[in-house]
Amino acid sequence: MAETSDQAMGTGEHSRRDFLTILTASAGAIALGATVWPMIDALAPDAQSDASGQMIVNVAGVAENTGIAVQWAGLPIYIRRLTAKQIADNRNLVQSSLPDPARFKSRVKPGYDNFVVVVGLNTGISCALEGNTPGEPRGPYDGWLSPCDGSAYDPLGRVRRGPARKNLVIPRFTFLDAAQIQFL
Amino acid sequence: MNTDVKPSWMASRMPCLGGWWAGLTTPSMAREAPYLAVLPWLITAGLVFLTASGLVLAVYYNPADAFASRQFIAREVNNGWLIEGFHATGTTLVFAAAYLLLLRGMLARSYRAPGELVWLLDIVAFALLLLVGWLGFALTGGAAGYWSVMNATNAAMLLPGALGALGTWFFGGPDGPGTLARLLVLHIALALVIFFILWLRHGAKKAATPLPAPALRVAFHPYYTAQYFVALVVSALIGCVLLFFYPHFGQSPLNNVPGGPLALATGAGVPWYLAPLAGLSALFHGTYGGILGLAAGLVLLLALPWLDRSGPGRRAGGLWRLLTWVLALDVLGLGWAACGAAGGLSGLLVVVFGAWYFLHFLVLTPIVTALEAQ
Repeated sequence: MAETSDQAMGTGEHSRRDFLTILTASAGAIALGATVWPMIDALAPDAQSDASGQMIVNVAGVAENTGIAVQWAGLPIYIRRLTAKQIADNRNLVQSSLPDPARFKSRVKPGYDNFVVVVGLNTGISCALEGNTPGEPRGPYDGWLSPCDGSAYDPLGRVRRGPARKNLVIPRFTFLDAAQIQFL
Repeated sequence: MNTDVKPSWMASRMPCLGGWWAGLTTPSMAREAPYLAVLPWLITAGLVFLTASGLVLAVYYNPADAFASRQFIAREVNNGWLIEGFHATGTTLVFAAAYLLLLRGMLARSYRAPGELVWLLDIVAFALLLLVGWLGFALTGGAAGYWSVMNATNAAMLLPGALGALGTWFFGGPDGPGTLARLLVLHIALALVIFFILWLRHGAKKAATPLPAPALRVAFHPYYTAQYFVALVVSALIGCVLLFFYPHFGQSPLNNVPGGPLALATGAGVPWYLAPLAGLSALFHGTYGGILGLAAGLVLLLALPWLDRSGPGRRAGGLWRLLTWVLALDVLGLGWAACGAAGGLSGLLVVVFGAWYFLHFLVLTPIVTALEAQ
């Protein structure tokens, strides 16, 4: 009885007005979303930053036992091509002898194990590492040396002498082919 | 519908929310309002929209290299072209509503007691809107905007006494490399001041409007929200047509050339909503002529409650209404002529239409209203 009169008044739970209210509110919500979404999306990185974030670096010209430095995401990135001796020396180290144990395989990409790509910042006191440009001291492990606190790294970027206790950070990147790497 | 306000989880913890909702759903408003009574609300909604799109633009805008950063926004930023369109078209809609609000106020004579304060706040908000609109036009970095800033700073610097000091403070000296950075801050800050003025206007309007008998009242929600929703949808439709088919509506093509000392803009080159004022300021010559015309145009609007000699409670006569409509056409014509649309006749037409504006307020308004009141 009550329900019938409700429906006649158009105010019941399943009335036509109820349906129209839901329909109007949904259309309004969709329109609002369609208007607001472009503005939120515009705050995402613009095309230029997006492209520079996915920088491609040509590494074909990097000679053995030398490195290059590039800037990516506001960080100095060191890219070094290893010699056969450096690979052999570092492939089978006893893990427990390292301050921050890491296998050789975890420091290079499969198939391109003569390339090491690291963020060139000391993990102790944060400062740029020496040893990437020719003539700079590389430290006792033939890798990189921190001029600030004396931490020494091996050619794979693993810390070998403190006070730093973490290995060098490896940025996100992938080999497109033997000549090009792309940061992601 | 159940109008009992049950304290919800939120309302029991933050009672002001419950009070707010109760205020919206308690019958407290007249049973019906004219459709165009929605205009102040539409202007507020438009300003919210402009604030949102403006915030996004401000993220990427660079006042040191204004024109190039606008190209960057249009080409490199995700949906940047659309956000620019939002901001430009939103401005057109807000100004259309603002001009309509003034026309409606004059036709309905709502500026007379006890509505003078509402009218004064309307004009203050309108003047601020014009200023913010002009600042936005200046920020485009186009040739027309560049010369507009140059002329405005020069005139403001040269004003004597306190006004000159104010001008110097506002522009920070002659037009230079830092001017646009300063104008950007003022563009944003003054836009927020408009919200405050509209809030004051809302209070003044409420105080000036007599409440109907309790039995004749309805609640804001859903009765007024439904009406406002329809108005919003209609404006959004108009906005979409403008945005997608006429994205540069009312803008001078001169402004699509980067501003600089060698890119000379001919004519006013201002967007449509500034054009009538540009016409008024072109009426007077000399160093202070532009500012004089601008100020006179706005002061006459402010003075309207006292220029109307009809006394309280009188209905508007037919002649007054006709004259108001003629004034609306006159303002349109003034803007049209000020943009140089009439070719060689533009200069003459600006004088004719501008003279009619002053004639309307200073001579016709007092005489006609006094005659019709008898």
